[in-house]
Amino acid sequence: MKHEDVVCPFCGCLCDDLEVTVEDGHIVGVKNACGISRSKFMSHGLNRVSAPTVEGKEASLEEAVRESVGILSGARRPLVYGLSSTECGAISKAVELAEATGGVLDNTSSVCHGPTILALQQVGESKATLGEIRNRADLIIFWGSNPTEAHLRHITRYSGTAKGMYVPEGRKGRRIIVVDVRETGTSKMADQFIKVEPNGDFELLEALRATVRGVALRAEAVAGVPMDQVRALAEVMKGARFGVVFFGLGLTQSEGRHMNIDAAVGLVAELNRHTKFLLTPMRGHYNVAGANAVTTWQTGYPYAVDFSRGYPRYNPGEYTSVDMLARGEADAALVLASDPASTFPVDAARGLAKIPVITLEQKITPTSMLSRVVIPVATAGIEAEGTAYRMDGVPIRLRKLVEPTEGVHSDEEVLGMILEGLKGGAEK
Amino acid sequence: MNGIEVTLISGRTARQGIGLEEGKTSQGYIKSVNEVSLCPEDAASLGLSGDEPVTVATEHGSVVAHWRVDKGLARGTAFFPYGPWANQVYASSTDGTGMPQFKGIRATLSPAAGGKVPSLQEIVESMRRAEH
Repeated sequence: MKHEDVVCPFCGCLCDDLEVTVEDGHIVGVKNACGISRSKFMSHGLNRVSAPTVEGKEASLEEAVRESVGILSGARRPLVYGLSSTECGAISKAVELAEATGGVLDNTSSVCHGPTILALQQVGESKATLGEIRNRADLIIFWGSNPTEAHLRHITRYSGTAKGMYVPEGRKGRRIIVVDVRETGTSKMADQFIKVEPNGDFELLEALRATVRGVALRAEAVAGVPMDQVRALAEVMKGARFGVVFFGLGLTQSEGRHMNIDAAVGLVAELNRHTKFLLTPMRGHYNVAGANAVTTWQTGYPYAVDFSRGYPRYNPGEYTSVDMLARGEADAALVLASDPASTFPVDAARGLAKIPVITLEQKITPTSMLSRVVIPVATAGIEAEGTAYRMDGVPIRLRKLVEPTEGVHSDEEVLGMILEGLKGGAEK
Repeated sequence: MNGIEVTLISGRTARQGIGLEEGKTSQGYIKSVNEVSLCPEDAASLGLSGDEPVTVATEHGSVVAHWRVDKGLARGTAFFPYGPWANQVYASSTDGTGMPQFKGIRATLSPAAGGKVPSLQEIVESMRRAEH
């Protein structure tokens, strides 16, 4: 059977034009997919967690849930972490579970675009859907982002080569500029590559902002970029009909972090005195935007939420997972839809190894290897349906294409079982 | 020690994305993240050749990794894909932001004479051992 317009649950592009062929309950072909997406659909059955385990020994689902309930009810400072590679129903259930345990809830944005959120909460943002950008943008700037490696169809579907209503020529109708610390696949296909010194983005953004504002800077170069080039770029930006900055972790993970985004927003605000300009973060995990959205509408805050006082409190730097684990503050963790043992710096990963961890995962990961309880779950967008938010905040419905292995449930269902156990224990 | 100072940048690669969807225990994933890239001139100045791995060290930690040449990198800049190997050298300090610094870190590269690139299992075991 052929499924059309399938949504890819890998990156924040959420490409929704895939064609997936299913035969005898197995995926046998994928069309329109990028290399990563193809790997996701065609390899989704490889290296799976085959059964629930407790202390490394195979257990029934009921035993694994009971052990999870025991760990969470005995913990004083449990951490619920991940969320970004699952659908919104599961995220909502995770919020409920974190509240029920009086723990801390955090998602992977704390190590990707958390600084972006911090900055946007301070200074606001000028944004548009990817559809509007595709139809209107004539100047595309990739700043500290590299879609040719991380968002493989972004350039062809939304930003670079796509033909739009007011950009009918496609690539010829758009100017593409890359600002980065190194040459990348994206910089090679751009009209212009501006090489900024590592950790120099803040200075360059502020110099551009000042130049757009008409301030004559006396520097000869800023962050390794000659002032002539800065002035020329400012003119190109002011002269655009509709410009957009797609920025990535080059800004959020280098020195300055949220202040780099603050400077980018300031530049874009200044440009809006001259023309239409906006900025969009290149969100990585396919539903990290949904993790922020669901957590915000349920708690008021997008990540780093503490429930220990019975009401939500927000403090990135304190209730963020890397900090909690490196400090040795969390005494138990429930991880779903992410692999912090692989993605956190070593001290935080060791912090995870010291405490009882419950992991809901499809595949064997370093986090599942370190976990006391591992419960296999269905892959959202392949074996379970649900909703995910694209990087521009547009919600898109994920489809279920094949049945999960018998006895394997969705993230939302497993979280519901643990939650029921916690509530049952509280009533006794 | 015959080492060079570099600015270390971490990031995503398509190979890593393809590999992680095969699974974190797959060779595709492991090979995509246990190697550091440097420019040909830096590789030559370190006298690197063949399969001899390199040691990547920061003031926070060190790890032995494979290496490859990337002509797009400038001298003094090295690229380490996100993953368990790169994370051995990053600090968990977030300066109150929640975000560790994964890009723009001062590091030293040197030939890992006789050194061996740790396996995924060895890295996981080293995390476990740290608890005792």
